[in-house]
Amino acid sequence: MGRYILRRAVQAVGTLLLVMFLLHLLTTVAIQLNGNPAQAFFGDKVATPAQIAAVEQRFNLDDPCYDQVGNPCLGPFVERLGQYAQGDFGTNLRGREVSEIVATAAPNTLRLFCVVLVTWLALGMLLGSAAARWRGSAGDHGIRLTSVLIDAFPVFVLLIVYRYVVAVPLNGWAEDTFGENSWPPYWFKPSFDPDHPWATVVVPGILLGLAGSAAFIRLVRASQLESYQGDHVRTARSKGLTERRVVVHHVVRNSSVPVVTAVGLTFAEALGGAVITEGLMNIYGMGGVLWEAVRNDDVGLVLGVVTLLAAVTVVVMIVVDIAYALLDPRIRYE
Amino acid sequence: MRQARITTLAAGAAVVALTVAGCTPSDTVEADGPVTLETWISQDMETLFPGDAGAYDNISVLDVVYDGLVRYDPETTEPYNYVAESIEPNDDNTVWTIKIKPDLTFQNGEPVDAEAFARSWNYTADGDNGLYSNYFFGIFEGYDEMQPTTDDDGNITAEGAADELSGLKVTDDLTLEVTLSSPFAGFATMLGYTGFFPIAQECLDDVEKCALEPIGNGPFQVTDWQQSQELTVEKWADYPLDETPDYDAIHWTEYAAGETAGWADFKAGDLDLSYPPTAEVESAKNDPELSERYVERPGASLTYLGFSGYTEGPWNDIEFRKAISMAIDREGIISSLGSGQATPADSWVVPGGVPGGEAGTCEWCVFDPEAAKAALEKAGGWPEGEKLQISLGDDDAEVEYFTAIGNSIEEVLGIPYELNIVSSDDYFSTRAAQGFDGMFRNNWFPDYPLNENYLSFYASGEPGAGHWGWYSEDFEAKLDEAAAAPSLDESVALYQEAEAILAEEFPTIPFRWSFSATYYSDRLDNVILNPFSGAPILRKIEVTA
Repeated sequence: MGRYILRRAVQAVGTLLLVMFLLHLLTTVAIQLNGNPAQAFFGDKVATPAQIAAVEQRFNLDDPCYDQVGNPCLGPFVERLGQYAQGDFGTNLRGREVSEIVATAAPNTLRLFCVVLVTWLALGMLLGSAAARWRGSAGDHGIRLTSVLIDAFPVFVLLIVYRYVVAVPLNGWAEDTFGENSWPPYWFKPSFDPDHPWATVVVPGILLGLAGSAAFIRLVRASQLESYQGDHVRTARSKGLTERRVVVHHVVRNSSVPVVTAVGLTFAEALGGAVITEGLMNIYGMGGVLWEAVRNDDVGLVLGVVTLLAAVTVVVMIVVDIAYALLDPRIRYE
Repeated sequence: MRQARITTLAAGAAVVALTVAGCTPSDTVEADGPVTLETWISQDMETLFPGDAGAYDNISVLDVVYDGLVRYDPETTEPYNYVAESIEPNDDNTVWTIKIKPDLTFQNGEPVDAEAFARSWNYTADGDNGLYSNYFFGIFEGYDEMQPTTDDDGNITAEGAADELSGLKVTDDLTLEVTLSSPFAGFATMLGYTGFFPIAQECLDDVEKCALEPIGNGPFQVTDWQQSQELTVEKWADYPLDETPDYDAIHWTEYAAGETAGWADFKAGDLDLSYPPTAEVESAKNDPELSERYVERPGASLTYLGFSGYTEGPWNDIEFRKAISMAIDREGIISSLGSGQATPADSWVVPGGVPGGEAGTCEWCVFDPEAAKAALEKAGGWPEGEKLQISLGDDDAEVEYFTAIGNSIEEVLGIPYELNIVSSDDYFSTRAAQGFDGMFRNNWFPDYPLNENYLSFYASGEPGAGHWGWYSEDFEAKLDEAAAAPSLDESVALYQEAEAILAEEFPTIPFRWSFSATYYSDRLDNVILNPFSGAPILRKIEVTA
């Protein structure tokens, strides 16, 4: 197990370096083709060459390679890697520490993901298990139909309708009913409130989680159906185990492997959904930060954020692999 | 069996760890505090350092945290002395003596004296620091010596030789003497701008910290800034001057780019000031209760069209430019696209918004299809089979406007067009490098309220230079004459003459003025929009509990 984790960690570093280099190339080419962000700093003002040069220096974009289309700018990349190795994630264009930006934005995104994951797992496991347990019943059909409906309803529509149509009256109702300083009005705030980060992230998280839960429901149903027909379940039943014990220990546990895989995979993908949710609900999170950073050709910020995200993703993948081994006795890493 | 149970538990723990890592709610609901004005800014505000603030957002925050030498009248935008006791020029407007009111201090107790202004101005004027407001000091004597030298590729070869403006002298504790490199009658008007605010020594000692935790001399102190999320300022108890409101604090919620001022939050009662997204403009207008709590006025920002005068093309003929201008149905486009949230422009200086601004200085800014066709004919028509390229940055609302402009031109003059939409970085660097071909969008947001500020950037210095390759000897001579006028009034009148030359030679086509408006909550009163920036004047607002 130890050697396995070590091997995975070495692979992870390699993946990370590759991702960083690709992103470095992309943002560098964007600057070379789109023009230097230093010019945009002055907007409509007519800046002299000296003013632009001074701002380029301030933005750390004064290396001549940024003016030469096709130059991979290896010098700045290596320099940056050296800084990362020392734990210095640098600054964004305007000199704000990347680590500080991430420290502010990441907890908000994590909160959102927490709620999303709980929603996924709760809906997926409950509805999926129920559909598999009572296969072919009206409930099974109902659950499958619901999952199709959820899939067909884009998350941003859900959020816009919630924010502009439902949230304001609901918030007013909650204030009237429970009082202004009670919890319920905060659950229905139309926007995120950094002073009440948990209360205001619950509903957006549930909505985003709801949108992604359809795949989970179907996945859980399919893998449990397979388990119900497995030899080990027949053996368990013939041993005279109670139905409850069979379901919990032999069906649900055995069918958890694909679910854990899916959680790992969707973790990275969920960031895409987070950009939309964060944007609509005004949550200052990683999705929005990355979105703006790419728009502004902010090489330092893009690389810093993506490096951190890639590191997290790699760690999640390793944790998922370890969870396999724990869930399924047949999987061993030697 | 025991082994299996432990494994199950561990597996469960791993899944739970993935799921609820750190998911422990810890917020609390607090009770009512001081009377706080709730408003908004956008999320990308990066700094509150006076010399580096150039955006709507940090300017409106700094306006309550700092006091400048002058402030502007909310109706006429004319400057009046505030921190300054007096500001007097010599005979030819080249040497200005500024006396500062005695006994003023910063929020940390340091004196607001001549030295406080000098250290701020020298730091911002030093080109090596790369600050936004650096260019304002270009009219000071000794500015050039403070700028870095660059080679032809735009790389810095040497830092600026000097660290202080030779044209800035502290003659005693409360007196500054400023020598300009050329006369400028409007100098006092500039001094209310953010870039001219004083800074404390403690601020200069750690500029990075000061950009986040400013040490102001204004009525409010920054007490908490969670950058990109929210900003709170509270009243400074020892504020010595009189322009301060009755409420206790201002809280800004920061919104992501593209988000329209938290309209849903306003409706939920969490914001006191807001403006609806385009889709909701009509329903807000039709709400009788809301429309009583609404103020609007034309803004001071001009969107206009320029031509690549540095390339060969029909646009180098003034008759062609007239034809284009008269073919654009400004009124129709603005009323159909923006729900009336803009004003058709027929001048280069905002009418009523700044001294010297008058409507109607542009003779050819009226929609007149017949005259447009006649002018095009006079110009020799449009080359067969070619398309007029219209370039602009990638802003959705602007693309809509410019599609309408293109359609209007095509309909009236039969000139086919194509939009060339580029990223904003690309737009600014292409324009600076004279890289456009045809017509392109321009926008001007003025820095200080004087008609000069709308005109002086047309002075390119030589034929073929500048954004539009336009040069006029008469125009530049008139600007110089106005700058040297003995009084501000005379100067303003001479700048108006310069605008008339612009109107005569017609290098650019005014299209529309911006529009400022806000709705406010029922606990606010006396909400006035700054005629110049369009922002609600926070110091004037009254909040009832």
